[in-house]
Amino acid sequence: MKQKTDVLQGTLALMVLKTLDVLGPLHGYGIARRIEQISGDLLAVNQGTLYPVLLKLEQEGAIASEWGASENNRRARFYRLTRAGRKQLQVETQDWEQTAAIIGRFFEAKPEDLS
Amino acid sequence: MKSLRRFFTRLCNLMTRRAQEERLREEIAEHIALQIAENLRAGFSPVEARRQAMLKFGGVEAMKQDFRAVRGLLLIENFLGDLRNAGRTISRMPGLATVTIVSLAIGIGVNTTIFSWIQMILFEPMPAVTGAASFLLVEPRTETGGYPGASWMEYRDLQTQVPALRDVVASQMVPFNVGEKGQTERTHGQLVSGNYFSALGLKPAIGRFIRPEEAERPGTEPVIVISYDYWQTRFHGAPEAVGQKVRVNERDLIVIGVAPRGFQGTMLPLKFELWVPATMAPALLGGTRDLEDRSIRAFSLIGMLRPGATREEAQAEFSTAMAQLARDYPEASAGIGGEILPFWNGPRGPQRLLISGLAILQGVMLLLLLAVCGNTANLMLARGSTRQREMAVRMALGAGRGRIASLVLSENMVLAFLGASLGAAIAVWGTTALRVAPMIGAFPILFPTRVDGFTLAFAVLLGAACGLLFSAAPAVHLARLDPQEGLRSSSNTPPRSRARKVLMGAEVGLAMVVLIAAALFLQSFRSARQTDPRFRPEGVLLAAYDLSGRNPDETSEREFAARLLERLRSLPDVEAAAMATNVPLDLHGIPARPFTVQGRVRTEPGKDRAISNTVTPGYFKVMGIPLVEGNDFAEMGDRAAPPQAIVNEEFVRRYLNGADALGRRLQMRAGSFSIIAVARNSVYDAFGEPAQPAVYLSYRDRPQDQGEIHLRTRTGNETALTSEARAVLRDLDPMLPLYDVRTFAQHIERNLYLRRIPARMFAVLGPLLLGLAAIGIYAVVSYAVARRTREIGVRLAFGATSRRVVLQIIRENLGGITWGAAIGWVLALLISVRVIAKGAVNFPVFIGVPAILLGVAALACWIPARRATRIDPMAALRHE
Repeated sequence: MKQKTDVLQGTLALMVLKTLDVLGPLHGYGIARRIEQISGDLLAVNQGTLYPVLLKLEQEGAIASEWGASENNRRARFYRLTRAGRKQLQVETQDWEQTAAIIGRFFEAKPEDLS
Repeated sequence: MKSLRRFFTRLCNLMTRRAQEERLREEIAEHIALQIAENLRAGFSPVEARRQAMLKFGGVEAMKQDFRAVRGLLLIENFLGDLRNAGRTISRMPGLATVTIVSLAIGIGVNTTIFSWIQMILFEPMPAVTGAASFLLVEPRTETGGYPGASWMEYRDLQTQVPALRDVVASQMVPFNVGEKGQTERTHGQLVSGNYFSALGLKPAIGRFIRPEEAERPGTEPVIVISYDYWQTRFHGAPEAVGQKVRVNERDLIVIGVAPRGFQGTMLPLKFELWVPATMAPALLGGTRDLEDRSIRAFSLIGMLRPGATREEAQAEFSTAMAQLARDYPEASAGIGGEILPFWNGPRGPQRLLISGLAILQGVMLLLLLAVCGNTANLMLARGSTRQREMAVRMALGAGRGRIASLVLSENMVLAFLGASLGAAIAVWGTTALRVAPMIGAFPILFPTRVDGFTLAFAVLLGAACGLLFSAAPAVHLARLDPQEGLRSSSNTPPRSRARKVLMGAEVGLAMVVLIAAALFLQSFRSARQTDPRFRPEGVLLAAYDLSGRNPDETSEREFAARLLERLRSLPDVEAAAMATNVPLDLHGIPARPFTVQGRVRTEPGKDRAISNTVTPGYFKVMGIPLVEGNDFAEMGDRAAPPQAIVNEEFVRRYLNGADALGRRLQMRAGSFSIIAVARNSVYDAFGEPAQPAVYLSYRDRPQDQGEIHLRTRTGNETALTSEARAVLRDLDPMLPLYDVRTFAQHIERNLYLRRIPARMFAVLGPLLLGLAAIGIYAVVSYAVARRTREIGVRLAFGATSRRVVLQIIRENLGGITWGAAIGWVLALLISVRVIAKGAVNFPVFIGVPAILLGVAALACWIPARRATRIDPMAALRHE
């Protein structure tokens, strides 16, 4: 149970970082929407789980936040990527691609390749 | 790095908790508002738009909890929460909390006080000296196991011959007569080696200390160091004290310095006021040959191990050195070996005696504390059961078993620490009260106990241990609770807790042991006042004189005693007068000496020993001890009679099988004596002691340089003799003070002082413990009964008499109690037979205490049981 959330949180964090990298400063709802749009309905996750992830990233210094005005002109918290965050994104993207490649090769492998 | 940074952020977040919560709330509100707006645009109705938004967001509370977990340090936060909760819970049960805290405080306070004494004797045997516990006693030891002390010459040799020890220090205890003619005052001091103060690492309060070269050549340096208290009382703390003269044993000595505050010499608990170079001995003590004569073993040696050296090495070197000395000086050192002893195990002084006594006392008091814990655990358990519902609700809301346990634990720990703090306060009070100790016997005694960090740590540790101990059972009990079960409004089958019964039994058992110990102790103490000492202490005045400062020879000692006795007898109000070397019932005891007697062959190894007291003619008349056979000693002036001895009845019974003793020869180390009379047995060391064999020798044959004057008054007012006795002594020798003047009754009181402290402790703690046990039993039974109201109602409805129900409840509860009591009783009996009385059983105590304890227990069961059956059966059935 805990294991699963950890994995999810890890990928969720990467998605948050990437979203902010591409779109610039966004509030929590914006991030949630964007992730939803990109992943389609495949990632059926409660939007609420985003907030602990945001907090963790902020504590680590990957993102920073400040108050700003939302679309309907109310106070909202805007998150943006920091320099450290950008670096982290780079490293994690590489890691992720590497992992994905390895896993991919495993899935493609046939019995004769392994013998 | 990252984790460290996160830790600090979290720590900060802990402080700004409210602001954070506020921010999160706002963010969530905004998020949902945006989602609703989006949903509305997508064509949902307002209600549906809101519902969908909430669904999409997910559980707000769970998310918040996740958020908090990321944000702060959950452990600390929980801990603070627990503390707050504990405070609230405790304030809701003031009665229970007070009982718990006060009983714990008393238990911990008493234990801490005793611990502070033990700690002082073991770790701080020399007040004001840092690292005093690492000093070792360097004691020459005779073949027979005596510790005669070291001679000055021997000390000089040993200084170089035991390289494993550095700074071996020599000191000799001396009573000085300080002051001008006719108004001298007896003050205790030490003759010390030149390295005394430097080896102890002391710094003078003012002035300087004795230098090594000042203790090199005999009689050249008339200098003196005074104690801080002496400086304060005699010189009012004036810095001009340095350089002034003090008249000691008719010689002027110049004050060179003041010892640091609290320093009282190297023989705890004796309190010394003056320190003089050992080389002043001949000048101060009437030309004594202490410094040259190897057979005068007047000094005590102490030393510290050199870094890296072990006690075994020191012991080996010391033994070698003593063996060499025995070869070099056979007439003074033959057969004398040596032993290195830890400070607390010294052959002189009361440390050794105190340590064993205190260890027993500590043991009993720890048992008491354990009983208090058992009691508290029981109360908590009983209370915990009434909280089952509360705990079930907490569990239903998602609290884990660990959280429940930690909740209960923190409540109890708060109680325990409150108790420990109060206990520490009691200990502070207890130790200061003890500091006001009187002169005991002829010596000034001060126990400089105090509560320091170490003792406080002990108190806290005790508190923590108690807290853990008495929260374990309730914590486990509550954490194992099934929330479903707990939430059900009525529990039809009340769980009969085995744990509670076992605890109740254990508590009563412990109470039994401690109460019996207390009763035995109090009884032996009380019997001290009631048993017949077999002599007549009423109407007797005691006072001491000491010629040792004059270094007199036997003839002058005998003459002095004879003249003193004659003058005292001629006083009009004196019915009888005598001198003796020892006074019965003295804290320090009367020495027992080895002997052989004609007509007795000892079959087992070792030597026969008998209490020995040297007395003048007339002693038996003053003391009111009848002579059953023979006559009193020959008069002091009689030169014709051979050396005489008087033995007591027990001596005749034990060593001569009751045969005729008169005329037999008695061989002692002091010489050969002829037995001329048999005296009735009397008490020597303690009231209620078994009869001890005793030998009395005469001052005529064995003159002494000091003595205790015994005067029996004719008028019944012995204190009135004081001034007359003083006048007599002043006439004989104006420089000699009469000291330690007291009535025999005062002497007895004073020597019971140390026994009185534990007696008082027991007198207070015994009833307290009984009360605690009663409260504990009462709480448990009344809880158990309350849970069974319905059952009782059914029984009553079916026609059971209330009497029968009450009896049944009492029987059920008394079962466990009786078991515990029986085990405790057997335990106490074993201890008593094996350790204390050595065979004799004190029946009144061993029957009375269980009767009282079980009576109180039955009463504590009866009251709640009775109350339960008063209930109307119908009401009981409807109840719950």
